[in-house]
Parts: sequence; C-alpha cells; structure tokens
Amino acid sequence: MTVDPEGLFVANQPRLFRYFLRAVGQIETARDLTQDVFVRATRAAIPDVPEGEVRAWIFRIARNLALDHHRRTQRQPVDAIRADTGRAPSQEIDAAVNEALASLTDLDRDVFLMREMAGLGYDEIAKACELTPDAVRSRLHRTRLQLRDRLAAPIAARHTSPMRLSGRDPRDDT
Amino acid sequence: MKNHHEVISAFLDDEPFEPARLAEALSEPEGHAALIDLVALRHLMQPPPNVVAIPPRRRSPLRTVLAAAAVLVAMAGGFWLGERRGQLIDSAAPAATRVIETGDWQPLP
Repeated sequence: MTVDPEGLFVANQPRLFRYFLRAVGQIETARDLTQDVFVRATRAAIPDVPEGEVRAWIFRIARNLALDHHRRTQRQPVDAIRADTGRAPSQEIDAAVNEALASLTDLDRDVFLMREMAGLGYDEIAKACELTPDAVRSRLHRTRLQLRDRLAAPIAARHTSPMRLSGRDPRDDT
Repeated sequence: MKNHHEVISAFLDDEPFEPARLAEALSEPEGHAALIDLVALRHLMQPPPNVVAIPPRRRSPLRTVLAAAAVLVAMAGGFWLGERRGQLIDSAAPAATRVIETGDWQPLP
C-alpha cells in the first residue's frame, strides 16, 4: 500500500488545524503549523502502515511542532481565538479556556486536545504520545476533571443551553 | 471524583466500556453531574464556527483589473511587434546572386 501525500493532507488537515488552534490559540499560527506538518511529512518517508498508525505518526510530528512553538514563545496563554469576522461574543470564555489549557502539562494538554479537538481514538493517541491506551484513558479523565474545576463557571452557565454529546452546537443547525 | 468514573470518559469518547460500570457511575449524583459537566466542557472547547483551516479566497477586484490589463498589454505589444516586422521585411524578391545555365536537355538513353 502506497500512501498518497495529498490524500493524507485532505484527510487530516481539519483535525490538525483544530488541534493546533487550541494548542497555540492563534488562527494564523495554527494554519502555518498545519502546513508545516505536511511539509515535514512529505520530506520524511511516510510509513507504509494502516491509516490509524499514519495518523498517529502525523500527530507525533504535530506534537513536536507544537512543543517547538511553545519553547519559542515560552508558552504564554493567548487571549482568545479571534475569528476572522470580528469580535466573537464568547471571547471571554475562549480566553478562560486557553488559560486553563496553558495550566496543563504539555503531555496532558496534548492527550486532551488530540481527543477533544482532533477526534483521535485512545490507540492513536497512545501511539502519538508514546503511552499505553490505559494511560491515555486515565490521563484524559484526570485532565478533564482539572479543566472542569478551572472552568466551573462557564461550564455551569452552559447547562442552560441545548447540548450534544459530540460537542457540536445545536444552534449551528439553523 | 472516583477513578471508576473513567468509564464516563470512555462513554463520551465512543471507546469500549462496561455498561454495568457506567450504570454504577451514573447512579451516583457525582457521576451524573460529571457526565453533564464533561459534555459542557466539550462544548466550551469548540472554536467559533467561522474559524476554518483554509480561509476562503477573496478575489480582489484590483487583481482582476491587473490581469485584464496584462492581457491587453500583451496583445497590443504582439500587434505592434508584428507590424514592425512586417515593415522591416521587404516583400519584393531579392536580386539573384547567381544564374545557372542549364544548357540543352539531354535525351535519356
């Protein structure tokens, strides 16, 4: 089986962008880092392995890029994700989310974001972060509880709005 | 929260879980509060819907005008060069430099 780099890009670009978006908190930087992953992936030999393992390999590259970025910027929490179309009403919540994420260790944050933003399975996260799936499960739950404590007020405020298990906002349907 | 509440995370993530353990976790007030809170946390993590990996390309009107201008300049330049070459090349036949006398035709044997 030969891995098609373009297919790999199309299949993983949205996941990577969402991961970087919360990992670095800036839209343009997230876009640049997403591109950088594919530049690195095409320079290296893409492993001839099943799709889930290729994704784990791609996210290992992404994780290294995010860590490099944090080293360069000394991991300052950013204000909020700024949408291209002006000031979003949820900017305060966004800033609180980014601050809470910045308080996590690099590994906890990556495990959480790979699951929550990129939708990776426990096995894929385990391979990307060099952990066991059981360690991913425990770490993920513990991280969620930490974030739950730090974001208690916005979480409580969210209780009055309709929700979906997927996290997709039902208000976006209209 | 207790460790056995990890089953709630597995349920949220569509990972394999034991139904009995989930039922046990959700039977506790702390367990079902956690389920709601973790779904709410998931909602908080979502970026604004208009944030996309590749921004839509806006075709600038200036770019269109510049492209049209470039085509016109290329066409006018081509026409002008063609005209100029036409003037430079004399349409009359050049004078003969050598005349070959063929003589009489020889009959074939």
